[in-house]
Amino acid sequence: MKLQVILDGHPVEVDARLLELIVEVEPGVYSVLVDGRSFEARAVPGAQGLSVLAGGRQFLAEVRDARNFSRSSRAALGGGRQNLVAPMPGKVIRVLVAKGDVVEAGQGLVVVEAMKMQNEMKASRPGQVMDVRVRDGDTVSAGQALVVLE
Amino acid sequence: MFQKVLIANRGEIAVRIIRALRDMNISSVAVFSDADRGALHVRLADEAEHIGPAPSSESYLRIDRVLEAARKHGADAIHPGYGFLSENANFAAACEDAGVVFIGPSAESIRRLGSKIAARILAKQAGVPVVPGNEEPATNVSHARKLARELGYPVLLKAAAGGGGKGMRQVDRESDLEGAIRDASSEAERAFHNAEVYIEKVILQPRHIEMQIAGDLYGNLVHLGERECSLQRRHQKIIEECPSPFIAKNPEMRDSMGDAALRIAREAGYYNLGTAEFLADPDGNFYFLEVNTRLQVEHPVTELVTGLDLVQLQLKIAAGDGLPFAQEDVRWNGWAMECRVCAEDPENQFFPSPGRIAQLREPSGPGIRLDSGVYPGWTVPLDYDPLLAKLVAWAPDRHTAIQRLHRALGEYAVAGVKTNLAFFREILEDEQFREGRLDTGFVAGLLARRKPSVPPEPMLEVAATLAAVAASKNGKPAVGVESKESSAWRTEGRGRLLR
Repeated sequence: MKLQVILDGHPVEVDARLLELIVEVEPGVYSVLVDGRSFEARAVPGAQGLSVLAGGRQFLAEVRDARNFSRSSRAALGGGRQNLVAPMPGKVIRVLVAKGDVVEAGQGLVVVEAMKMQNEMKASRPGQVMDVRVRDGDTVSAGQALVVLE
Repeated sequence: MFQKVLIANRGEIAVRIIRALRDMNISSVAVFSDADRGALHVRLADEAEHIGPAPSSESYLRIDRVLEAARKHGADAIHPGYGFLSENANFAAACEDAGVVFIGPSAESIRRLGSKIAARILAKQAGVPVVPGNEEPATNVSHARKLARELGYPVLLKAAAGGGGKGMRQVDRESDLEGAIRDASSEAERAFHNAEVYIEKVILQPRHIEMQIAGDLYGNLVHLGERECSLQRRHQKIIEECPSPFIAKNPEMRDSMGDAALRIAREAGYYNLGTAEFLADPDGNFYFLEVNTRLQVEHPVTELVTGLDLVQLQLKIAAGDGLPFAQEDVRWNGWAMECRVCAEDPENQFFPSPGRIAQLREPSGPGIRLDSGVYPGWTVPLDYDPLLAKLVAWAPDRHTAIQRLHRALGEYAVAGVKTNLAFFREILEDEQFREGRLDTGFVAGLLARRKPSVPPEPMLEVAATLAAVAASKNGKPAVGVESKESSAWRTEGRGRLLR
C-alpha cells in the first residue's frame, strides 16, 4: 500500500525503498542508513498523532492511505477560518481584541498565563476577528478556542 | 559539619544539592508535592517528606510545612536552592527561630537586598553606579508617565521583589505604559505576593554580566569572577558563560566589577554565596542591577572554570568554616558555557510543553556536564518552571567549548515533550554569537532574522518513512485526529515548512 504521511501538515510521499533501511535498535528508537549515512530517529505515539524526532526536530506525523488524503487536510494548509486555541491549560490574563477588529499578522490577541509565564498569543496571519470566546480571568484547557479569525 | 540537610526545592537543583551532600557524606532530605512523588530528587535523596498539593503556594512555598519536615526528619540545616523560598527573608528568619541553619545569607541581608529598590539605594551608598531611574513604586500612573517622559522611552518596568523576568516589561511608547504597569503588577503580585513595580531607563545594547561573590561569617569576602548572561529571551537567561567574551577582551573590568560587587556585599553585611548583576554598555561602563541572595541557576559555569564546588562551599560557610582561600588564590581556567534545557516549543513562541518524557538519551563525553532533574517516563508537571536540565561544556577556549556544547546538544534526545535543544544549536551556529558580539537583545534579533529552519535532506523523508514503519507496527495507520479547528501555531509551522 502506498502511504501518504503528513508531517506538521506537509504531505510527504513514502519511498518504499527507505523502508528497507530502517532498524529498530531500542523500543521506539530507529537507526536509518541512507546512502551510507547514519541517522537516528524516534517515534512516540501521542494524543494528537505520532510524534517523530529526527535530526533534532520533532514532527507531528499523520499516516494515511494515499487515496484517502482528504480535502479537509488540504484546506487546513491554506486560508479560511482559523481558530486561535490554547495549546495548554492556563488562565486568560487579558483579551486584547474585540469582535470585528481587523488584525495584522503577529498582532497580540490574548495574553494567557501558563506555567508561571505570561504569553501573548499572536495572529499568525492578517484577518478579522469573528468571535472572542473567552474573557479576562477565564481558565482555559488545552485545545480550547480563544479567538476565531477569518 | 551538618549531619543531615533538607532541600527545600525540587527538580534539577535539588538533585545538584543532593550530589554535593553525598560528596560530603551528609544525609539528604527531599520534600515533594503531589505532582513530584516520582520526581528524580525524591528517588535520589536519602529521606523524603510530602509537603502538600501540586500548586507551589500550597507546598514548596509553605514555610510551616518545610520546617515541620525538617523537624520531623531531624535536619540541622536547610538548603533553599533557587526560586521558591530561597530569597524569602521571613523563611530565613523562621529557620533561625526553629533552630535550623538556613544555608544562605542572613535574613537581614536578604531584606536589605531583596527589594530591588532597597538594593539600588544600598548600591548608591556603596558608591556603585546604578541604571538611571528612581526608587519609588510606579503605582500612580500619571506620576509614572511623568518619570518615564523624563527618562525617555524606552523604559523598563521591574518588579521590586522580582527575579527571572517575572513582572518585567519594556515599554516603548507612552500609550503602552498603563497596560504594561497593570500586567507587570499582576504578574509580580502572583509571583512574589508584591505588586510593586518601578521604572528604569533602558540601557541600549547592554550586556548582562554578573559577579559571583562568596563570604564567610567572619567578614572575609571574595569574588569568583563573572558570568556573561546576555543571551536572554524575555529577560530569562538561556545561555551563560564564563569568562565573559567582553571581559576576556577587557580584563581590567573583572577587577573593577568584582570590586563593585564586594563593596555592595560589605555594605549589606553579606555572607554565603551571592551574585551581583550588572548591565554593561558597549563602552565598558557598567551599572548595578540587583543582588541575587542565593545560588544561581548558572553556577556550574563558574564551578568548571574555577574548579570550586559552590554548593559545598555554601555548606561549609553555613557550618561556620572560614573561607578556605583568599582572593589571590582564585584562578580562572578555560571556558565554560551552559544552556538551559526547557520543555518548551521554539516553533510555537516557546510555549511550555509539559508532558511525559517518552524517551531520553543524555549526552556525555569529554568536557560535558549535565545537571538534570528528569528521567525517561517522568511526566513534566505543568505546575512549575519548565527547566529540565542544564547542559554545560568546558574547554580550554571559547571556540572549543562551543563545539563541544554543539556536539552534546546533538547527542541529547528528548521525545514526548518539545524542547529548545535544536534552537540552542541554531544559536551556537550563528556567526555573531561565535564572534562573541552579544547583548541582551541578541536572542530577539536572532528570532527576527531567523530563517525558517528547513530540515536537512533527507530528514523529512526519514521522518515520514519512520512514521509509516512505526504506524504499521502498531497494526494500523496512525491517522491523527484532524481537528476542524486548526491551531494557529501549527498552521504557522506549516507555513514555515512550506516556504
